Amino acid sequence: MSPGELGPLASIRVIADREIFVKLRDKAFIGSTIFMLLLVAVGTAVPVLLAQSVPSLRVAVEGAGAQAVVEQAARLGEQAQQAQPSIPPSLAVLGAGGLPPADLTSVVVEPGTDVERMVRNGDVSAAVVGEDVGSLRLLGAQSVPLEVETLVRAASAALQVERAAVAGGLSPEQVSALTDPSVPQVTLLAARPNGTVAPELLVLVFAFLFYLSVLTFGMSIAQSVVEEKQSRVVELLVAAMPVRWLLAGKVVGNTVMAVGQIVVILGTGLLGARLAGQGQLVSQVLGASGWFIAFFLLGFVMLACLWAVAGSLATRTEELQATTVVMQVFVIVPFFAAIFALEPGSVQNWLSYVPFTAPLLMPARVVLGNAAAWEPVVSAGIVLVTAVLFVLLGARLYEGSVLHTQSRLHARQAWRAWRSERR
Amino acid sequence: MGEQLALHGVTRRFGDRTALDDVSFTVRPGRTTGFIGANGAGKTTAMRVVLGVLAADAGQVTYGGAPITPAVRRRIGYMPEERGLYPRMRVLDQLVHLGRVHGMTTTAARERSSGLLEELGLAERSHDHLSTLSLGNQQRVQVAAALVHDPALLVLDEPFSGLDPLAIDAMGELLRERASAGIPVLFSSHQLELIERLCDDIVIIDAGRVLVAGDSATVRRSTTGRRFRVRVELAAEASSVAGASWAQALVASVPGASLVGQDAGTLLVGLTPAADDQVLLGAAQAAGTVREFAPVLPSLAEIYREVVR
Repeated sequence: MSPGELGPLASIRVIADREIFVKLRDKAFIGSTIFMLLLVAVGTAVPVLLAQSVPSLRVAVEGAGAQAVVEQAARLGEQAQQAQPSIPPSLAVLGAGGLPPADLTSVVVEPGTDVERMVRNGDVSAAVVGEDVGSLRLLGAQSVPLEVETLVRAASAALQVERAAVAGGLSPEQVSALTDPSVPQVTLLAARPNGTVAPELLVLVFAFLFYLSVLTFGMSIAQSVVEEKQSRVVELLVAAMPVRWLLAGKVVGNTVMAVGQIVVILGTGLLGARLAGQGQLVSQVLGASGWFIAFFLLGFVMLACLWAVAGSLATRTEELQATTVVMQVFVIVPFFAAIFALEPGSVQNWLSYVPFTAPLLMPARVVLGNAAAWEPVVSAGIVLVTAVLFVLLGARLYEGSVLHTQSRLHARQAWRAWRSERR
Repeated sequence: MGEQLALHGVTRRFGDRTALDDVSFTVRPGRTTGFIGANGAGKTTAMRVVLGVLAADAGQVTYGGAPITPAVRRRIGYMPEERGLYPRMRVLDQLVHLGRVHGMTTTAARERSSGLLEELGLAERSHDHLSTLSLGNQQRVQVAAALVHDPALLVLDEPFSGLDPLAIDAMGELLRERASAGIPVLFSSHQLELIERLCDDIVIIDAGRVLVAGDSATVRRSTTGRRFRVRVELAAEASSVAGASWAQALVASVPGASLVGQDAGTLLVGLTPAADDQVLLGAAQAAGTVREFAPVLPSLAEIYREVVR
């Protein structure tokens, strides 16, 4: 057996493999991934379930005309439940596919009853008052439920048309064609650019994913480094390969896992949305996630080597809290800055070019639709250059400190120690 | 077959402290070399320089006459003084990982690791986390870690520390076996009698300087000169009359002899190179009945105390 010549790539691969292998067996990692997947699944399923439940509404009715209209409206609401199940009710409310499905129950009241009080007290969702179909009043407390308004309006229109048609001497077939015309197929050519979820919400979700991922995987890089230092394995490793390769392997391994986790989470969310019939949401997120993942990758690598340095400045796991404080600030402050700069404006524009906040804000501007095509490219370039600088800085500090097992170091000492430590 | 490893004038400073001062010695293939020195003498630093974990400020390390390369260093089996394995990784997994770090394929590393664990009696612990093993067993895994890539050179820092007597024998056996397979073996130890028993060559280092280096027997012969053990049964009246002073008288009558030690009738006598051992024998016979007369090599411990003093 002759040990093969191990080039840098093969060496980095060996180290990265171990990082991945250990992560895949780490109960905390598996647990947190499952938790986030559940969160995403719940996040996509619950609004859909809520929206898909057909609302049951009680409508008070006073007068013959009102009664006829509400009964007709209830019929329309019932028909709508059978028709076009492919369109989610939430969209149907917006008029995308005809009338909204609803269970309307009419509560007939005696003349002279205080209908207004019933509505105010919330005994009924709305009230329809009037003898004549042509002059009805629709009462609501703060607002009339959209379903009720739409259905009542349609029913009243239909009844009036029917009355006029009958008066005009049309046959029942002609009347029916008039009152129940075939609804045109609705096709949105320029659907709202913001799709079905508020873009601000999407940006928040992306920012939170980035924040969580950088924090947990950054910490995991630091831990992995200090574990090797504390257990002295690092001496065996450094005897077999240059320190830089070791660092590169760690960064690559953890980056693969971080990006992998994000892709799995986004994928699950998209799959969930597709299953729930929210095709529009899927294309919206897909369009935005390209830049998000690109910036995620750059932003993660930019900080990864510094996380390794934070680990190598400590000698024991207990010291990590102290040595990673700066890194936590590097992640948390940009996160909040990005959240407070959600409103488009000059602050947001500037911050989307600052390397720390760019990974959060530039994809956000793309989603919000206020970035020119060249802007993310320039910003990505800035982050990339910063990443290269940080990787070089991180490599030097790491080389200067990873073999120093006696006591906690400061970055300045690691910087100076670099020259003397390595061949 | 391994090649010869050599240090040539290696110097290493930490700040204003000189840890290694112009250190030169060789580790020959097919032989075990014992590295002796007090704590802080520079053993670990020298080994780290060999491994490339530390850089030398001056001097160089050669292997087979040429400056050592990273590729050669990757073929060293190394056991660091403070040990070093992943506590929360399964025994077999980490041996495979270390094998791969040293350039083996996963398959080869797995095969070899399983074989080593079998050999060391740890096969049934292969899938346990290292931290659940007893210290002795962890030490055995550490040995396996140094051997997993079938090293062309062994550098072991205090391989015997923390071992029980049986494990010490097994480790000694293993080092001898490796050396007879033709590779250079360098190890350090505080246990001088162990080194005396196991080593073909010795290197004594103190305060960063090599005091003695070379073939163990030659060193022991040359460092303190010739010594003889003489056991004399005195005539009854002589022993009661002369007491202890007879020995002084005996040695004084032999040119170039000095009394190194005495235990009743047994004397340890040092002779200068010019002195005649037969004169000593004659003097002893004159004093009484000689029951034993033999040249002795000083123990390593004695040499160590003498050169370090």
